[in-house]
Amino acid sequence: MRALVDRVTAIREVPVFIALVLVVVVTGIANPQFLSASGAQDIFLGVAVVATLAVGQSVIIVMRHVDLSVGSTAGFAAYLIGNESARNHGLIYCLLVALALGLAVGAVNGLLVAYLKLPSLVVTLGSMYVVRGIFNQIAAGNTINDSQAPKFLGFVGRNSIAHIPDLFIFAAILAFIVSLIMHSARSARDLYAMGSNPPASALVGIPVARRTFFAFLASGAVSGIAGAVLLSRFHSADANSGLGLELNVIAACVVGGVAIAGGVGTPYGALIGALLLQSITLALGALGVSQFWQQAVNGTLLISAISLDRYLSSRIKPTTIMRVSS
Amino acid sequence: MSILQGRKFTWDKGVMLLLVVTAIVGSFVTPYFATSSNLSFVIQDIAEIMLIALPMTFLIIAGEIDLSVASALSLVSSTIGILFRHGWPFGWAIVVGLIVGALCGALNGFLVTILGLQSLAVTIGTLALFRGLCFVLLGNQPVNKLPTSWTNLGYNSIPHTFLPYSFILLVIFGALAWVLLHYTRLGRWTFAVGINVEAAKFSGIPVRRLKFALFTVTGLMSGIAGVVYTLRFASASPDSASGYELGVIAAVLFGGVSIAGGIGTLWGVLAAVLELGVIRSVLQLIDVSANALLIVSGALLLISVAVPRAIEILRNRRELITP
Repeated sequence: MRALVDRVTAIREVPVFIALVLVVVVTGIANPQFLSASGAQDIFLGVAVVATLAVGQSVIIVMRHVDLSVGSTAGFAAYLIGNESARNHGLIYCLLVALALGLAVGAVNGLLVAYLKLPSLVVTLGSMYVVRGIFNQIAAGNTINDSQAPKFLGFVGRNSIAHIPDLFIFAAILAFIVSLIMHSARSARDLYAMGSNPPASALVGIPVARRTFFAFLASGAVSGIAGAVLLSRFHSADANSGLGLELNVIAACVVGGVAIAGGVGTPYGALIGALLLQSITLALGALGVSQFWQQAVNGTLLISAISLDRYLSSRIKPTTIMRVSS
Repeated sequence: MSILQGRKFTWDKGVMLLLVVTAIVGSFVTPYFATSSNLSFVIQDIAEIMLIALPMTFLIIAGEIDLSVASALSLVSSTIGILFRHGWPFGWAIVVGLIVGALCGALNGFLVTILGLQSLAVTIGTLALFRGLCFVLLGNQPVNKLPTSWTNLGYNSIPHTFLPYSFILLVIFGALAWVLLHYTRLGRWTFAVGINVEAAKFSGIPVRRLKFALFTVTGLMSGIAGVVYTLRFASASPDSASGYELGVIAAVLFGGVSIAGGIGTLWGVLAAVLELGVIRSVLQLIDVSANALLIVSGALLLISVAVPRAIEILRNRRELITP
């Protein structure tokens, strides 16, 4: 049974990974520059923010929920870190402020979704606006520049280990840890049960409200931390930071095999999904396709991924049920 | 008082009340609010959101959602722009633009009803696709020199009134949507599908065809909103109306339509769109920053779902204690 579950979950990430390898190899053959160290760095660095957020979002989507407030929260957190740093506060203090912001937004979302049983799409759409509004009010046209941002974050944003940018290594470690938790911890397994069948999971005694609350808290915390990634990636932050990021993040999750209907997918799958979208964007450039095609191709890819997933799951599902019941 | 007795207080009535209160307070707070030029501006300002909110109400009541509407709007605008740049007569460019809008909606409808995909995920995909096609068509260069005989329609008022031309569209389509949703079989079907899709299927409602039609009409209405947008700004640019999709959905939900489907009224949505426009106008006139509007619309959205639910929970608890 365990092996079966492992096998079925493994299948979901494999095609995405193969697609990623194909894109990289084919583009690399056509334009060797793409496979150079700087080409790889572009992909890894470009994906860091979305990948970090996608790891947090995957936990939410697995429960058949969605968190639209992540872009606003990450942008606000980035600004706060720079703002506090400009007032000569230490790095740890700045990061704690960002984390506190993320936890606060996550707690509000969690309370409303888990205990008032409100639809997460509506709640997080509302909190997305409120957070963005407060953020813009505070930022009011100011820009945090490189000299105001904590020196450490500026350094991390530029540094790489073995040609892999630190920021991507951070996102990968986060994905690894969260995947491990989602794979092994019982409370996290509950999230999969809640996503595949909400009423049944309540009936078998899963504390649905508490689990939902803490998952949103976790998503908020990740968004706060993603603020630090955002600031170190762009070396600046202003009222538009993180604008519209939420839909890219959800797209990365869906392409990475985290089904929007809940119950399946992994955080590392979301990371691979983010990598695939980013490498296709850059591959188009390397292949000499006009940059204007990038978004259209990404959209088509997302639609194809969902269609393919639907097609595959319609073939796999009956056998799974039979095997489980036998 | 007797009118109120025996009638349940519902959220959409609350929004209408709020609209009246806001309008009255607004006209006391600033002398510029209740002027004809400002009211004309408010109507122009909400026109696109309102035009898209009408079919979106049907879609959400039927249990689906469309996040690609703003991108479809922009694609229609871009299509009109590129055709005009290539020497097409403007009127024909608009016709082709509207067809493109309907095709956008039909694509969503195909993916959702024929392939059976989740509309939330699919329309995030088409959101990127349609927006991407805008950039493919126009690149980075907006089309600005549109014929003034057309753009005057987006700028001038209807002769002898202070109302903008888009007001005519709002009245026609608003009335049409209201009658369709609340007084026809199609409207009853929409509610039935949203309440229980299985039961709807078994009672003979052509669920797929209905949803396909709703998506297509949503695309077409986004196209009409695209024409209004293009004329109003006298420009077709690839990044038109970005972020409008969430604004439309927020307005529909604020108007008391349940995201779970099956519940909602058209009056509530109309009042909600107007209320958001009026609040924006009042805040601008008393020099409160645009950020406050974001906070207010977000808070209103949260309140609109949280308060009814909290009341419901409290009521249930009381019933449990004293059965």
